[in-house]
Amino acid sequence: MLRLLATIRKEWLLLLRDRTGLTLLFAMPVVLITVMALIEDAPFRDYQELKFDILTVDNDGGRLGKYIKEGLGQTSQFRVIDSVHGAPVTEQQARALVNEGNYQICIIIPKGATGAIVSNANRIVNDISRRMGMPDVLPVGNRKDSLHVTVYFDPASKKAFKSAIHQALDNFLTQVETDMLLERIKKQLKRKDVAEENDSMNIQLKAVGLKEQLTGPSEELDVISNSVQHNVPAWSIFAMFFIVIPIAGNMIREREDGSMLRMKLIPGSYLAILAGKMLFFVGVCVVQFYLMMQVGIYLLPLLGLPQLTLGQSFLAAFVVAVGIGLAATSYGILVGTVFKTPNQALNFGAISIVILSAIGGIWIPLEIMPPHMQLIGHLSPLSWGLDAINDIYLRNVGVSHIWGDVGKLVVFATVLLCIAATIEKRRLS
Amino acid sequence: MTSMLVQDLHKTYKGALEPSLKGLSFSFPEGSIVGLLGPNGAGKTTTISILCGLVKADAGQVQIFDQAQNTANREAIKKLIGVVPQQIALFPHLTAIENLEYFGNLYGLKGKPLRSLIDQYLQAFGLEKAGHKQVHHYSGGMKRRTNIIAAILHQPRLLILDEPTAGVDVQSRTMILQFLREYNQQGVSIVYTSHLLDEAQTICSEVVIIDEGKAVVQGGTAELIARHDDCRNLEDVFLHYTGHALRD
Repeated sequence: MLRLLATIRKEWLLLLRDRTGLTLLFAMPVVLITVMALIEDAPFRDYQELKFDILTVDNDGGRLGKYIKEGLGQTSQFRVIDSVHGAPVTEQQARALVNEGNYQICIIIPKGATGAIVSNANRIVNDISRRMGMPDVLPVGNRKDSLHVTVYFDPASKKAFKSAIHQALDNFLTQVETDMLLERIKKQLKRKDVAEENDSMNIQLKAVGLKEQLTGPSEELDVISNSVQHNVPAWSIFAMFFIVIPIAGNMIREREDGSMLRMKLIPGSYLAILAGKMLFFVGVCVVQFYLMMQVGIYLLPLLGLPQLTLGQSFLAAFVVAVGIGLAATSYGILVGTVFKTPNQALNFGAISIVILSAIGGIWIPLEIMPPHMQLIGHLSPLSWGLDAINDIYLRNVGVSHIWGDVGKLVVFATVLLCIAATIEKRRLS
Repeated sequence: MTSMLVQDLHKTYKGALEPSLKGLSFSFPEGSIVGLLGPNGAGKTTTISILCGLVKADAGQVQIFDQAQNTANREAIKKLIGVVPQQIALFPHLTAIENLEYFGNLYGLKGKPLRSLIDQYLQAFGLEKAGHKQVHHYSGGMKRRTNIIAAILHQPRLLILDEPTAGVDVQSRTMILQFLREYNQQGVSIVYTSHLLDEAQTICSEVVIIDEGKAVVQGGTAELIARHDDCRNLEDVFLHYTGHALRD
């Protein structure tokens, strides 16, 4: 126990005096998390959360144009622009502006569109009236060809964005047509029951609606995956794994300057010294983890980002942080054992963590990667840590649900330590 | 009692073309200061590593104070020996006292007894005023002296020093050699390797000259010089047995 405690004290004193190391371990991750959460905020926002400028050219001047503009304006998604530099925008001008990338989208409402919809609604109502033995009195136009609301997209627009816009406009068109049809039906029925004073006929089309509910065990949390909710845990895990570099450097320096040799010459197990070193660095990882969570809770909201929501099981989060710390520390010990110079360890350590993080879903969530990459990604220890944290923070699970991922992290740590021990034994022989 | 017995030691490292040790044998009695001398690549470091139990010999036998160096006795032998490596095996960003406390703790020493031992040795080596300075601020001589203290905190019966005076000034060297003489007078056996043969001649009661993995000669320092008419000092004896060919 004395060896273990003495080693923890020694590492503590060394870390306190290593300003660069302290910066690398604590200040850099804070900057990294803040920057990543800010720059990845936009891609993480749903289209409903973003506001797009939509150029509209209303050649119709009727109800359809008004309805579309009002409808788009009412959603938080779109800002309707129908004039540029104080003058109404023309179709040609709108096309040019979108093509140049000044706007992402423009909508051209054709002349006579409202009339076409009214005429179509009248035709339907007349048909129904005729079948019910009533006179068909609503006026119907002679137009045979169908009209189209035309949409122009910025050539750089993504497929998902186009699809979302198409769907939104389609909904508006359907809504207008339905409203006008109902209006015509009411009008016709009113004409029939002219003697009745009560004109409170109310046609309700939506008999079945949509209701969103939570899947988790508790209904107290309503967390959605956003930039903060993904980036804070993800980049915290990435930063925790960067402890590989100080550990590997520490081990190589001890080997180079002979202090490791001295430790091995002292009676007693070197394992106790190694355990002290591991315990200390796992502790550093856990402190890093909680510091990063504080950044997500207190700092990022000051920068206009959502606040990080922690799950309800603090014990589960602590267990996962320890598991990640164990895996990262063991990886550092292996790198420090395999490589002979701090430079080699630094290069390999840094690059390998970047690769493991990229495939492990730190940069972008695994779910949106191709299936074969998802398969590879699930082999990364960083993805095990992130899965467990997401389960705790987003799905609000407790300790009993995270043992699978924590188990993988512990097995990973054990295997790496065994490999490091074998290499060290071979080196001595 | 012999403090060290080395018999027919063989060692070839994996992948090496030549064996490092080819039947090395020597012994010396308890209480002596022995110079383990040899040109570069002679096998001194391998011998010390085997003596300490860090490296296993392919064949042969090592006994430290009549205990065979093997897996069963390794921990017991570690308690008997102190090793001063050639490198400054200290943590540069810890103070001398913090370094010595740490290594003392690893030896199982703690509290007031450890602190008084540290104070005593810091004084003996003229470091009492610098104990709270971080080691990387020390001069080469101060580092060497602290390096020695770290190896004797547990009061070993056998002290092995690998070039303990390399790169130090005359004052530090004189102090180190003086300390070793006094330490030896307390009954501690000392094995000392150095390329500074005048220093070895001054301090060693016996020398073992190793070349190409074998002991080429062993004897009292004065006796070896007297044995050959053309040798006026230990350096002449060394060249007599190892030749003038470069060992690069």
